[in-house]
Amino acid sequence: MEIANHLILVAGLLFILSILASVLSPRLGVPVLLVFLIIGMLAGEDGPGGLDFHDFSLANLAGTAALAVVLFDGGMRTRMATFRVGLRPAVSLATVGVFVTASIVGAFAAWVLDLPLLEGLLLGAIVGSTDAAAVFSLLHSNAVHLNERVTSALEIESGTNDPMAVFLTLGLLEYLSAPADYVWYEAIVFLVQQMGLGVLIGIYGGRALVWSLNRLNLSDSLYPLMALFSGLLIFGLTASLHGSGFLAVYLAGIVLGNRRVRAFGGIRRFHDGVAWTSQIGMFVILGLLVTPSKLLPLAIPGLLISLVLILVARPLAVALALAPFRFPLREQGYIAWVGLRGSVPIVLATFPWLAGIDNAGLIFNVAFFIVLVSLVVQGWSVGPMARLLGLQMPATTALVHRSDFDLPGTRGYEIVSYLIGENSPLIGLKSKALPIDDTSRIVCIARRGKVISYREWGTLRAGDYIAMLAKEDELPKLDEVFRADHVAPKLEAAATRFFGEFNIDIKAPAMALSDAYGLDLPESARDRTVVEFFRSVIPRPVVGDRLRLGDMELVVKKMDNDRIIEIGLRLPH
Amino acid sequence: MKLSEILVAERVSSGTSVTSKKKALEELSALLAKGAEALAPGDVFNSLTGREKLGSTGLGHGVAIPHGRMAGVPSSVGAFMRLKHPVDYDAHDGNPVDLVFGLLVPQAATEAHLKHLAAIAEMFSDEEFCAKLRAAPDDRALYSLLAGYTAA
Repeated sequence: MEIANHLILVAGLLFILSILASVLSPRLGVPVLLVFLIIGMLAGEDGPGGLDFHDFSLANLAGTAALAVVLFDGGMRTRMATFRVGLRPAVSLATVGVFVTASIVGAFAAWVLDLPLLEGLLLGAIVGSTDAAAVFSLLHSNAVHLNERVTSALEIESGTNDPMAVFLTLGLLEYLSAPADYVWYEAIVFLVQQMGLGVLIGIYGGRALVWSLNRLNLSDSLYPLMALFSGLLIFGLTASLHGSGFLAVYLAGIVLGNRRVRAFGGIRRFHDGVAWTSQIGMFVILGLLVTPSKLLPLAIPGLLISLVLILVARPLAVALALAPFRFPLREQGYIAWVGLRGSVPIVLATFPWLAGIDNAGLIFNVAFFIVLVSLVVQGWSVGPMARLLGLQMPATTALVHRSDFDLPGTRGYEIVSYLIGENSPLIGLKSKALPIDDTSRIVCIARRGKVISYREWGTLRAGDYIAMLAKEDELPKLDEVFRADHVAPKLEAAATRFFGEFNIDIKAPAMALSDAYGLDLPESARDRTVVEFFRSVIPRPVVGDRLRLGDMELVVKKMDNDRIIEIGLRLPH
Repeated sequence: MKLSEILVAERVSSGTSVTSKKKALEELSALLAKGAEALAPGDVFNSLTGREKLGSTGLGHGVAIPHGRMAGVPSSVGAFMRLKHPVDYDAHDGNPVDLVFGLLVPQAATEAHLKHLAAIAEMFSDEEFCAKLRAAPDDRALYSLLAGYTAA
């Protein structure tokens, strides 16, 4: 009994410390995951906590389960629309990219650490994939706003490249534990099985989950639980059949997040919380598992391998993997830089230990060291690097104060509530004069903490909360209307500097540009509209893409899926 | 750039009353044509409307900067009108326009001319400045506001 009490005390304490520390993280500019990892290390045997924790199989279990949850949640947040530009590059990065990274790092590690080549390659495979938790939390923070091509490539890559790293790691381990019985084509069968089962069970499992959520009549609190445990079930089932559970659970999350699902708002909020819990738990446990004093002697080789990974292997892998997709050089550079490593390598590094490989301890410690370096160096610099490479886009929707509630018994509808800010242009308007489609959808207005009756609405005042019934696809439009406007002029100036002063009519003939500004347009511009001409030079545009014409630039301002719907003209400054 | 280099008091008008974008551009063309000897208002109008075909020169917030290239203009010529009643100008934010700055640049428009245009656009994105322009009592007050503008 005493032990149970102590364990609960310690767990509670570590979680509370991590949650409190997360407040500090944005101020210090450190990735929050690094903070969790350090709390684990401080609580461990070499830190003030003094906890002696060496249970590799428990850490492996916790890490795997947590990763499954993080991927499920990440999948739910991935908009299917981003697949349009991101899927193929991401898949190439997740396969070719991981293979190249693992080979280069592995060969170098074998040389530096004086290991047999195969054990070096094992280390390379372990650190081969980028970390979904780290990349998701980076891309959804407010520090960086990147264009859709970069965001979606990084996001989908980090969600899909773990299976490749797992495959390489397990394949090498199998060979290392029984080299004599190993036949090479088994590796191919293994790969096909991992990917194939992962894709199949992920997609169909996700559909089955959506189907049952929409048909079952459950108590409200059970929908999110149903989703979570179905995700774990999909992971477990796939992995038990020797498929890639990580891939399956990520794909199931994508299916769930991109269909109309009953009570989806609640499911999303619940998973947000569960994903945080998983990340804290996983990183703290992995921090506990390592013995920091054993890392010190490895500092020099560890640093060298990290540098090769960051400066040589990853950039080369990205260049090779993206070669067919003609990414602009600066975007390639950025994708190469954001090869964040995280929990996956540490979790994978427990496998050699469990398999009883001789150098398992060394491999674990070096992998851990590489993750630390990656989180510190790359995690710290993702924002500055985006600015340095000129990829930072102006923020657009960061200032909305919106909260949403599910509407029981419906799909795709939510009740949203907006705060009317101090300088909102809506102040003084009657509800009927609001620039929204259908005013009858206003549910209530709350003023000074009280819901007021329809007759007393009058005109809107600063500090009012306005609640509305809305369809999910109307939300971006509403966000725009209710933008909290006290910083808007500054934002608008930034947007003008980025997207240009004037809007160009998308149906205007391209030659009108040369008439108005005396530009020398190529022959290909003749008989084309501005948009057609733009696409003849940049075939797969995303918002923020620019085409230089003389001293001016055409900039894509808005897209509707595959169509450019607004284009700006940026003058020289 | 000082606006006084391209704008003189006689090309500033504070109470123009028009009913449409086309009428506004006609009035503006007449003002601009005062800026160089060889200019006919009709040609200026054609140049301005030619540019509008590429997309409205409305900046939003009730401001528009129609502009065009003209043979026979030795250096940039500016003109400014404040409309009595805002007119629909197809601006991207949907707001009607009441502050109109016209700019003519030489046929061989260079980067420097485009930078003038950019500077003017930036000036008119300053909402405080626009509020002052809307409150100015007469032509003379308008001109001294415009000529005395220094970037915040």
